[in-house]
Amino acid sequence: MAYKADDDYDYLFKVVLIGDSGVGKSNLLSRFTRNEFSLESKSTIGVEFATRSIRVDEKVVKAQIWDTAGQERYRAITSAYYRGAVGALVVYDITRNVTFDNVERWLKELRDHTDSSIVIMLVGNKADVRHLRAVDTEAATAFAERENTYFMETSALESTNVEKAFTEVLNQIYQVVSRKALEATSHSTSLPKGQTINVGKDDVSAVKKAGCCSS
Amino acid sequence: MKGLRRSTTSSSVPSTASPRLSPSWIHLRSLLILASATSPRRGSLRSPWTKRKRKHSLSHRHWHNLLSPDGKFHDGGVKFIKKVRSGGVDPSIRAEVWPFLLGVYDLNSSSAERSITGIQKRKQYESLRRKCQQLLDQCHRGDRLKVIDEVSNSVSSIFNKDCKFHDYEDDASTRPSCFSAEYLYNLQDDHSIHDGYYSSNLSYFEKEYRDQLTSIDRYAWGAESSSSESSLEDENELLLASSISDSCVEHDPILTKIPSIRGDFSEYNRTPEDFATWQRIIRLDAIRANAEWVIYSPELAAVSMEKALHSAASVGLKDYEDLDPGMVYHAARMVAVLEAYAVYDPEIGYCQGMSDLLSPILVVMEEDHEAFWCFAGLMRKARQNFRLDETGILRQLNIVSKIIKCKDLHLYQHLEKLQAEDCCFVYRMVLALLRRELTFEQTMCLWEVMWADQAAIRSGIRKSARERMRLRAPPADDLLLYTIAACILQRRKLIIERYSSMDEIVKECNNMAGTLDVWRLLDDAHDLVLTVHQKI
Repeated sequence: MAYKADDDYDYLFKVVLIGDSGVGKSNLLSRFTRNEFSLESKSTIGVEFATRSIRVDEKVVKAQIWDTAGQERYRAITSAYYRGAVGALVVYDITRNVTFDNVERWLKELRDHTDSSIVIMLVGNKADVRHLRAVDTEAATAFAERENTYFMETSALESTNVEKAFTEVLNQIYQVVSRKALEATSHSTSLPKGQTINVGKDDVSAVKKAGCCSS
Repeated sequence: MKGLRRSTTSSSVPSTASPRLSPSWIHLRSLLILASATSPRRGSLRSPWTKRKRKHSLSHRHWHNLLSPDGKFHDGGVKFIKKVRSGGVDPSIRAEVWPFLLGVYDLNSSSAERSITGIQKRKQYESLRRKCQQLLDQCHRGDRLKVIDEVSNSVSSIFNKDCKFHDYEDDASTRPSCFSAEYLYNLQDDHSIHDGYYSSNLSYFEKEYRDQLTSIDRYAWGAESSSSESSLEDENELLLASSISDSCVEHDPILTKIPSIRGDFSEYNRTPEDFATWQRIIRLDAIRANAEWVIYSPELAAVSMEKALHSAASVGLKDYEDLDPGMVYHAARMVAVLEAYAVYDPEIGYCQGMSDLLSPILVVMEEDHEAFWCFAGLMRKARQNFRLDETGILRQLNIVSKIIKCKDLHLYQHLEKLQAEDCCFVYRMVLALLRRELTFEQTMCLWEVMWADQAAIRSGIRKSARERMRLRAPPADDLLLYTIAACILQRRKLIIERYSSMDEIVKECNNMAGTLDVWRLLDDAHDLVLTVHQKI
């Protein structure tokens, strides 16, 4: 899982981070991409993104992770950025029930705007604040099973499970992409190297690059 | 101006098809970097915003010379506005000057009039705070549902009874507007709140509501209705204020549809936000405000722990264990003012980003009620950007897009190619008025210049032909948008030659913090106002 140079990758996956305000989306992102955490990270206005490349199955996967504003009011602009996403982390705060209750709405919105093959992980963040826990792990697990999403509890502050959550999502996306590629090749034997593989509604993500000499 | 000349020059040179930078451009760029690095303190207050006529900020001495013994401007504020437009305000007099720039005080007022206004405004703010306190207590008691029900009932009775002052009362879509004015009116337990400023805001709301369909339920956010009848006298006051300000309220035309990613915007299903949500997010944002302001106000930062804890307790602020007393105090003041604003302007309530706008004001204005009214003055224009239906912000983005199109078709066509011509990448810049991109001091300079333009327009200060020549550009209500467009135009070469997706432009914009020269941006913005303003 070494950090790689920015332009040297085999796949580019777009992943979105969604969930209520203050659940820790920006810190999950900064923990994963820069190994940083800030108690005074400002509210995200509109959208921001960061990237990190990891190795999956001998391939370099570049994750482009979009961090969005959590407030209801920003949803029109943020939902526009779902376009082309192949993975999503739906985040809630384990110390605030309301943020877990709202997950259902976030999921609905996500599914309305993205392809059905999108890989979704439910993330219960702030797991380090044990004494204030309001959402049971069991309840969240059951919910994730019902909604057919992956689930993990994380702490961006203590750096617990953050790496694991993102890499799991990227791994799963990779599996989807590989499966689709395999299906495509079985249908057409003449798929040239460098073929764009659509896993989302359009081809923003999951572009298999044509060898090492492409720019 | 010089900066824009530079970009004009470069735009006349057809860009090469090669995605790489040409060696000559790299050379030129390193020269520019060198030039900007060696220019004397351009980011500081002492800088002018035109290189040719270097000017200083409005100084303490100059400020007092502008005023006659009764505290009135000798010339109705013309010199004052002109000075601030060109150089901003010296930090030592900001607290005195900002209320004029933000329309809290009339430019024609005397000291005596201002002290009366000041007392009234203080009372009005205290009244808003009392209402916040009631709402907070109710939320804690958990009787919100009951309260919402009461409000809904009283609202419908008000609506049926007291809609006389609207000439469009039969139109169902206007109901919330009537409701809103009356509702806000009844929300206040102190009738002195209805001075000109406040009433003009009411009419502002009315206009807003006429333009959109909103649900009455959205406003049933847990307020107790203190009285449901209003006197005829007060109604007339409202009517009067409404007709006066009708002429100066800016209209927000129905947004022309912005293509590409905004396509499904109108069908978007929104869930209403309620006051409890705002209360929660306000506290969240107040606590995570950064400490950038501390060096600008050591006195506020050095507040005692006792005072900080007291103010935190008074607004029900928790979860601040890791913060210094100064930060706790700042956070508590932020909660107080933002909550009061949400009550004052329930159509907007609280939206993330507003805390960014309030923070510099809190640092300059030491009293909460002064900070509140300055903030309300700033929001008079900025509130459009925070509307729930996003029409205000989209209209602003559309103007930035038009400015770029007018000035630099080549860049615009490149943006079109990347499906980025809607300029969504400047969203944050518009919303937070460049607060996230500029330093604290730079932000205040930019805002002062911007406010001076708005104050000139608001008070109808018209320049003589000679003045116009000297000042070059007329005051622009949208100076911010020209500044933002200038910011993008300064990067035209980079965008055209290096960027092949909108993502890259988003990244560029998100990483601009700390790289901007506010006075050069204003030079360029000024030039844009002069050249393309008529066409927009």
